[in-house]
Amino acid sequence: MKEKVLSIPTAFGTPLELYKNSWGKSGHETLSIVSGLQGDHLNGIYLSSRLSQFLDSVVEGIDPNYTLKGQVISFPVANLNAIQSGSRLWPYDGMDMNLAFPGNPEGETSEALASAIYTHTMDSYWGLILQSAPPHYEDAPHIQVTKLDRRVKKLARDLQIDTVRKLNETPKVSLFHQWYAHDIITVTLSAGSPRTLNVQQCEALFQSIVNFMVAEKILKDKRKINPDENTKPRFYQPDDGVAVLAGTAGMFLKEVKVGTAVQAGQKIGEIRDIYSGKRREEITATADGFLVTLRQYPIVYEKEPIAIILTAKKSWMGYLPGS
Amino acid sequence: MLSQCVFSVETPVGPPVEIIRHTFASNLPKPVKRISLITGLHGDELEGLYICHRLIETLKSLEEQNAFKGEVHIYPAVNPQALETGTRLWPFFSVDINRTFGQTNTPSLPSEVSKVLLEDIKSNSDLAVDIHSSNLHLMELPQIRIIKGFEKKLVPLAKFCNVDLIWVHPHAEIFESTLGYSLNQAKIPTLVIETGICLRINKNYCEQIVLGILNLLQQTGILDGDEPQANIIPPKVVQPECVTMIQAKNAGLFVKQTEVGQIITEGEKIGTLIDPVEGKVLEEICSPCSGLLFTIREHPLTSKGTPLARIATEEPA
Repeated sequence: MKEKVLSIPTAFGTPLELYKNSWGKSGHETLSIVSGLQGDHLNGIYLSSRLSQFLDSVVEGIDPNYTLKGQVISFPVANLNAIQSGSRLWPYDGMDMNLAFPGNPEGETSEALASAIYTHTMDSYWGLILQSAPPHYEDAPHIQVTKLDRRVKKLARDLQIDTVRKLNETPKVSLFHQWYAHDIITVTLSAGSPRTLNVQQCEALFQSIVNFMVAEKILKDKRKINPDENTKPRFYQPDDGVAVLAGTAGMFLKEVKVGTAVQAGQKIGEIRDIYSGKRREEITATADGFLVTLRQYPIVYEKEPIAIILTAKKSWMGYLPGS
Repeated sequence: MLSQCVFSVETPVGPPVEIIRHTFASNLPKPVKRISLITGLHGDELEGLYICHRLIETLKSLEEQNAFKGEVHIYPAVNPQALETGTRLWPFFSVDINRTFGQTNTPSLPSEVSKVLLEDIKSNSDLAVDIHSSNLHLMELPQIRIIKGFEKKLVPLAKFCNVDLIWVHPHAEIFESTLGYSLNQAKIPTLVIETGICLRINKNYCEQIVLGILNLLQQTGILDGDEPQANIIPPKVVQPECVTMIQAKNAGLFVKQTEVGQIITEGEKIGTLIDPVEGKVLEEICSPCSGLLFTIREHPLTSKGTPLARIATEEPA
């Protein structure tokens, strides 16, 4: 059900309207999904609309395989003005909306939007934030968390996504922090790059969220399919992320794909001088591991990160003779 | 004056981006105090640059007179590419550098810059002043903003700076990623000056602050104290409960009718909020209290909740 939760008048007529989707009855443990905190994070917006389409079909009885048992809330578009401006931030206030939480109902537009989203989701049991990589980068689909407690690990396993990356603390004024501080089991799903839509990645993440909803009994799968036991997420600590930096400026041409395994010394790409076209630097992996983030925008400054590799530390068993 | 590059990075198409620190060394073997003045974190805030220009001009003359007992460091343009484009954010990254201090999650060039800058200031300062203008929306009377909790150390120093107002305001979590907060947390007393509006230079306000900073240098013993006492404005020190903010109740265009620095009385008209499409007056904006008007909206476009003015009152609002 699409419901208008906030209407903010504007100076020139059409009001700004914030909509919430919800399915299922209140009283159940609720999953909240928020996307579009940045106006150019299109994967999350698409993924959210894909989930809406699916949950509508479940609730309307069109989908023969599932019934809804729990409650799901989604805010597909949080930063309305940024999306309408076709930009990451709303040019009028230049404010990162993910630094506006918990918001203020009496405040300016971004604060009022943040407050409405926070208020409508604060009683949730689980929270999913859908995002793309930071500007100029592409992320392999992965989960970001700030704590790796039992509940978060279970959520990650239920999502059946291979890569779980623990970050240091997020800003206290981010939605992630506010949800977590409110005891909501919260993760961020990050995939793709800003301003682009990767339908294939979104479909994979869509299936992950359906998996999670089935595992947590928000959805009932009538087909009684055994859950996939093969996906065992790998949990990476903050120190496991190694940045590969550009030693020179110029144009970066990549030679690997994000989301693949790389080995120390393997060529990731090269930086060319823009005027002469000559190679200035070969960029190589500094460690064995999983390439979770890769430069997507080719123009680079010196000292910029080109890639982030999640290092594959061996377990102690790997050091045993014959292993 | 000695100029040093504290951070340099090659750009894709030309000369490097450099952050420069100018140093006026002490005449004593051990400086009595070391101060850093930082401007241009936001590339559209130009008044700090003018203040630095005037200070450098003056300090060069004082250097010839061997007037330095302490050490002065000036970082006149710490976000060069944003300054060149006149934008608040570093344009290539769309990042507010003054929201990246102390953050460690995502490696990026802006966070590297903030890390290097913070370390450089910390290793060269016993005291710092971070100079800002307001954003494009609000005009501010020269003031120093102090986060509650830091006021004991900072208010006595702020009183030397010739500002009209010292505003002790509550802590908000968003401040934790700023340069001022990070330095104060690191036990380097740091004053954050706000004055005027971005993309403009209000010469009178700037001269007022130049005088204040020179006075601060003298009062803290950094400059030789033989100079006659400057005529400094006694600032109004206001606590959080003595600041009233007026917000728009409607979306429209705000047409101001007064200027910052006025003492206004309860009920006095500050401006009008109009509907630009229908030709209606939506609100007459009147002051709910008497006091010093220290902020006024300059950008007319408003939505519900937009700040229009701030007033410092004698009594808690």
